[in-house]
Amino acid sequence: MKPKRLFLAAALAAAWLVGASGATAQTGASIVTPATAATPRFDAPSDIARGRSIFIGTCGAYCHRINAANGDAPNLFDCDWLHGESDDEVFHTITHGVSGTRMVAFGGALPDEDIRRIVAYLKSASQCKK
Amino acid sequence: MIGSRFARASTAVLALVALVATAGLAQAADPPAAGTNSAEIPLPPPPTAWYANPPVGASAGPVTQDLLAKSPADPSQWLLYGGGYRNFRNSPVKSLNAATVKSLHVAWAAPTGTTGQFEASPVVYGGVMYITTSYNRLMALDAKTGAFLWRYDVKLPDDLRLCCGPANRGVAIGGDLVFMATLDAHLIAFDRMTGKVAWNVVLADYKDGYSATSAPLIIGNLVYTGIAGGEFGAGGFLDAYDLKTGKQVWRVHTVPGQDAAVLKSWAGDSWKSGGAPAWTTGAYDAETDTLFWTVGNPSPDWNGDTRAGDNLYSDSVLALDPKTGKMKWYFQFTPHDVWDFDGNTQLFLIDTEFGGKPVKAIAQPNRNGYFYLLDRVTGKFLRASQYVEQLNWAKGVDDKGRPMVDPDALPQDSATKRVCPSNLGGMNGSWSGAYDPVTGLVYAPSIEACQTYQKGIVTYVKGIPFMGGMPDTTDANKNKSYGLLSAIDVKTGKVKWRYRDAKPMMSGVVTTAGGVLFTANMRGEALAFDQATGDKLWSFRMGGAARGQPIVYEIDGKPYVAIPSGGWASIDGFAGAGSILPEGGQIFVFSLDK
Repeated sequence: MKPKRLFLAAALAAAWLVGASGATAQTGASIVTPATAATPRFDAPSDIARGRSIFIGTCGAYCHRINAANGDAPNLFDCDWLHGESDDEVFHTITHGVSGTRMVAFGGALPDEDIRRIVAYLKSASQCKK
Repeated sequence: MIGSRFARASTAVLALVALVATAGLAQAADPPAAGTNSAEIPLPPPPTAWYANPPVGASAGPVTQDLLAKSPADPSQWLLYGGGYRNFRNSPVKSLNAATVKSLHVAWAAPTGTTGQFEASPVVYGGVMYITTSYNRLMALDAKTGAFLWRYDVKLPDDLRLCCGPANRGVAIGGDLVFMATLDAHLIAFDRMTGKVAWNVVLADYKDGYSATSAPLIIGNLVYTGIAGGEFGAGGFLDAYDLKTGKQVWRVHTVPGQDAAVLKSWAGDSWKSGGAPAWTTGAYDAETDTLFWTVGNPSPDWNGDTRAGDNLYSDSVLALDPKTGKMKWYFQFTPHDVWDFDGNTQLFLIDTEFGGKPVKAIAQPNRNGYFYLLDRVTGKFLRASQYVEQLNWAKGVDDKGRPMVDPDALPQDSATKRVCPSNLGGMNGSWSGAYDPVTGLVYAPSIEACQTYQKGIVTYVKGIPFMGGMPDTTDANKNKSYGLLSAIDVKTGKVKWRYRDAKPMMSGVVTTAGGVLFTANMRGEALAFDQATGDKLWSFRMGGAARGQPIVYEIDGKPYVAIPSGGWASIDGFAGAGSILPEGGQIFVFSLDK
């Protein structure tokens, strides 16, 4: 486990142990945690620009698309999050993948910071009407 | 738990009863052994195969090298993906002509039971049709009636590394075996008469980004298969295996690291994750004993910043000694490709004329929009001519065969220029074309679409997508993509006639000695055209978007035309051929009343 991920895991565990409101242990494919205080958002303009470039270079093409009218991978800009919409949930989905689909686990392949930057880009580019 | 076990056992029994009742010849070969319904003894997995008992097609005898070399001269057989070793996909059946084709009717049909694109070309031998479906289901059917004879469903892992869908394009047949390459990168040999597995070898670890989708090729006692993985940076290769034992005889890497000239064509260590998959089926020239195999895109697809150089042997054709794999020559179509212009479209080994002299040539409608003519003895470039309507990534091809790239067409950080053809082509290796020696025309179905390209940050990690960019499906989004079937004169490189369809043309072609060719479109229609004039002669609504490779054969003097139906929404939409049509494969076989 990389140091950053170890840190994140420790932070999550600590939040759970001290009974932070709403925190739960990880179950199955989803995680619900408000431990955002321990997880920087990486949402400065330079982070979002890097997140966009990684999204284009790594997540796009035959899988996700910016214009998702034609594709089978989920549209990531329509606010319809299949595996949880919080930043941590989206981070978790990217990190661990989705079993039984083409969505492989990027954890360990991409640095956690870059996965956070992808999340920040996705949220910044969302076309959600909410 | 017990309930689910009983449910599984009863399902197996029901399937067994249903098959025996309907097919007669078929039976589940591995039913649970007596006593396995005890709670203490785990049940075997649900049956995934129905073997033939008694064996089918036994009287035909083994498929010899002589038969393969002559295919498809005997109209009762269709033995190779390309019809014959020279890939003409030209049937000797004469009874299908402009007068009779209007009387074609459905003789039989069969479901695949799977979604995803149904891209196979059937093989027919001994009265049996062998056809594969998406997700590696292999079915043996009575070629005359469509009755199921045996069936094998490969158990695939749920974390496959696929760029472009669960496709399979068919089997190879040789001796008494049929061969299928799988999405989890195995090569499996089946007894052609029973469906039982003779051997099963791992080509590569699918978790490294590998998969196999195309029909293998057989020459003598060797069976050849390439590999996919160019969207994962997985190093391409072509393998030869002993037909009887499955023992590997040789492997040719498409980016051979021991070759200094190759290494010079890749910046730094970029060759190590350079992809260059050999994902389609090759061709064989018996006269010069040369195996030709094509190579796909360098990785990452759309960002060439880290792999400066020509990136050999990506986007090339390799001429090899079939016994050893030793290279005789190569030709690279698209040096330093940054558009995903795999060089993997169909090779036609045609004896023609160039400059007023006879030449043993290779013709290829390349994914990059040019129709190439090479000398297949020397590898010398002869000519490239545009066969698509829209092409602007290059300003032409020079006299050595090198494209003159428009710098504005290179992917940028933000997409700007509309570039043609699309990254899928033009023509694409996932479908076939055909040639007619009488008209001298190659028939190439193609996508007509343009895209904008942008590149992004990508890092190579084994088994993770490594594409480096994103084509924006500009024309597809605006419903501006369309399709062509182009009839290209091999002697001149000029298009003699074109059929234009409202959707990209992504199904293969078969030509016949009766002067009628068959193909299908993404709007669900089987189509027949006059090979000389392009006149549309016949159509039939199959229903599904057509992605398969039609064949023609004859049994008891009656002609049969087999055309697969069934698309895959993702890539179809990517190409601009998305539609209301649901997925689900079905093969239609048409015939004439005697």
